[in-house]
Amino acid sequence: MAVVKVDKLARSVAEGPSLMTGAFPTKDWMEVPAVFKPGNYAYPTKPEKLEYLDSQQGISLPNARDWNPEEDDWKLPENWKDIIIQGIADRLDKFRSLKIFMDCCVRCGACADKCHFFLGTGDPKNMPVLRAELLRSVYRQNFTLAGKILGKLAGGREMTVGIVKEWFMYAYQCTECRRCSVFCPYGIDTAEITMMLRELLHLLGIGINWAMEPVANSNRTGNHMGLTPQAFKGNVDFLCEDIENLTGVKVNPTFNRKGAEVLFITPSADVFAEPGIFTCMGYLILFEAIGLDYTWSTYASEGGNFGLFTSNEVMKKLNAKMYAEAERLGVKWILGGECGHMWRVVHQYMETMNGPADFLEIPKSPMTGTVFENAASTKMVHISEFTADLIKHGKLNLDKSRNAHVKATFHDSCNPARAMGLLDEPRYIMDHVCDWVEMPENTIREKTYCCGSGTALNTDEIMELRMRSGLPRANAVKYVRDKHDVNTLACVCAIDRATLTTLCDYWVPPVQVAGISELVGNALVLEGEQRQELDEGLRTLV
Amino acid sequence: MELKEALEGHKKEIVSLWIERTLNSYKSPGFFKKESDSFANPVGVNIKDALSTIFDLLLANAEHPDYADPLDRIIRIRAVQTFTPAQAVAPLLELKWVIKQVFSTKKDAEPLLSELDTLDCDVDRIALMGFNLYMECREQIYRCRINEIKSGSHVITDSGCPSKLLQDKPTTLESN
Repeated sequence: MAVVKVDKLARSVAEGPSLMTGAFPTKDWMEVPAVFKPGNYAYPTKPEKLEYLDSQQGISLPNARDWNPEEDDWKLPENWKDIIIQGIADRLDKFRSLKIFMDCCVRCGACADKCHFFLGTGDPKNMPVLRAELLRSVYRQNFTLAGKILGKLAGGREMTVGIVKEWFMYAYQCTECRRCSVFCPYGIDTAEITMMLRELLHLLGIGINWAMEPVANSNRTGNHMGLTPQAFKGNVDFLCEDIENLTGVKVNPTFNRKGAEVLFITPSADVFAEPGIFTCMGYLILFEAIGLDYTWSTYASEGGNFGLFTSNEVMKKLNAKMYAEAERLGVKWILGGECGHMWRVVHQYMETMNGPADFLEIPKSPMTGTVFENAASTKMVHISEFTADLIKHGKLNLDKSRNAHVKATFHDSCNPARAMGLLDEPRYIMDHVCDWVEMPENTIREKTYCCGSGTALNTDEIMELRMRSGLPRANAVKYVRDKHDVNTLACVCAIDRATLTTLCDYWVPPVQVAGISELVGNALVLEGEQRQELDEGLRTLV
Repeated sequence: MELKEALEGHKKEIVSLWIERTLNSYKSPGFFKKESDSFANPVGVNIKDALSTIFDLLLANAEHPDYADPLDRIIRIRAVQTFTPAQAVAPLLELKWVIKQVFSTKKDAEPLLSELDTLDCDVDRIALMGFNLYMECREQIYRCRINEIKSGSHVITDSGCPSKLLQDKPTTLESN
């Protein structure tokens, strides 16, 4: 066997054509097909999940089948093109916003470099303007006079199977975080364009399992995990035992209790998965400390609403469950936990879809008397608004030194920040419970970078995709870790808590992720407590 | 002219060509090259800084551990992008081509072309370190996947409906 000499090998690499040239762009973007290979797409929906959902009242999710994105034949229904064009027509008719967004973009490019997917990949189709163009070109071709006459010259494109594939690729490389919308001079909500793309794909039975199975579970048992009422209560009881072991205080939450003043709803991940469970312990401790008259529901046991990432019908139905349960239990108002997209649904769609919730009262804190006029329509208050108000009125006994092990920074979770303007309340709370610093200005508040794994992209088969799209966020965390020894990334979103943990593990170890309520729970001094030395707060193993 | 002197003298041109070629490996590199705010452009700025640092370390005859940080800044990014393993680490080897390219156009440096063997070996060693790092990153990705699966979230997709399971096992229901 010939021995390859190192210097010869090196020379062939150095003098031959570059290994990198394979990645050079050689064609116009419209000519570059989407190629699916392991790691760049999330698994399609299992047919039985889709069949179940399609059988449900108020939901239409047809064309369930086994199909594989890597194969040429996606087994589309015969009249797929008619379905898509009619689907666009229906939506243009139903949603005025879509019509405006299709027409008003002047391709100024302000959004182009604001997307974390573009920043992490350099793929031009991840520029929000171009991602929208994937749909807009088909719209022009079929729904504008210029497009009908001039076709490609007017930026139109004939609908093809290749475009269906392209939509699937790029509608699932957008987390609907809306950072690009902040920079759009016309205020185009690019997330809504992604939502439309996903709806259109669902007409052909094309979707991802990580979205649809949680949707099916939520519809069936009330939460993403498909936890039964018994399992849900059992998990909360476990956390209560942990709290008693740590603090000596017994907390006694109630479930499905009619006549409670407040219904508390949080993402189910808080109840069962680390590090969300520590946030959940924080809620339980806080409610015990103030003696809140509240109940959990084992039916509306999910704050998350993957319907937002699926279709407006599903979003409406899942959102309605929370309000139906509030009405059934006869509570006065709803307190919501640290969830991300739940708050977008509640703040921006609930009123239109299921409102007004006249059977509830405008939320009023029983401890401080503060009336939350901002929630007059939705009757739902964010836990950080509620906690910040308690702190402002001196209702909490907080010992900041109990978070001495924490040097935090705050990640504005996209939806609470951009969709409901929750910017200062978490910061106000952190000022009172721990030592913390801000990340650079262009990565926080309205301009916050997404975790890279929202909109049901938090599945492990696309780990590389998640890591590259999360790079802009991680890069800013790295800066404060190196400069200020930050060891904790605080946030107010369950998907963040799960996915930023992995993101930090890859890019910025050993930074941990914590919910704001966990930090509150760490610092709260409880009446009658017999607290052990908790070097790591509620995470301490005793 | 000494080799080191020539490398220092033409540093600006070498490094900028090296960066240019590396960033050209992206489909739409204009923004990566242009934007200098590291928080607005983490890929471009990290790669620019890392390549410049690696070149400085080469000039300073630095010890191998010193390369770890800049190599990590570039390879950790490319390990999760859509490159083949070879494409991911290729920029490190490209330095040899870049130096030869620059030297061949300079009268003062051209005679040094035959003396580049030692430098080539240094570059090879850096590339091999980069390959180790690339594999570490890939293994870490797989560990991340396993950790997520172990953390329990897989029950969403990989298990049956719990209420159905409970129907199959009535005793479990009672024990709750």
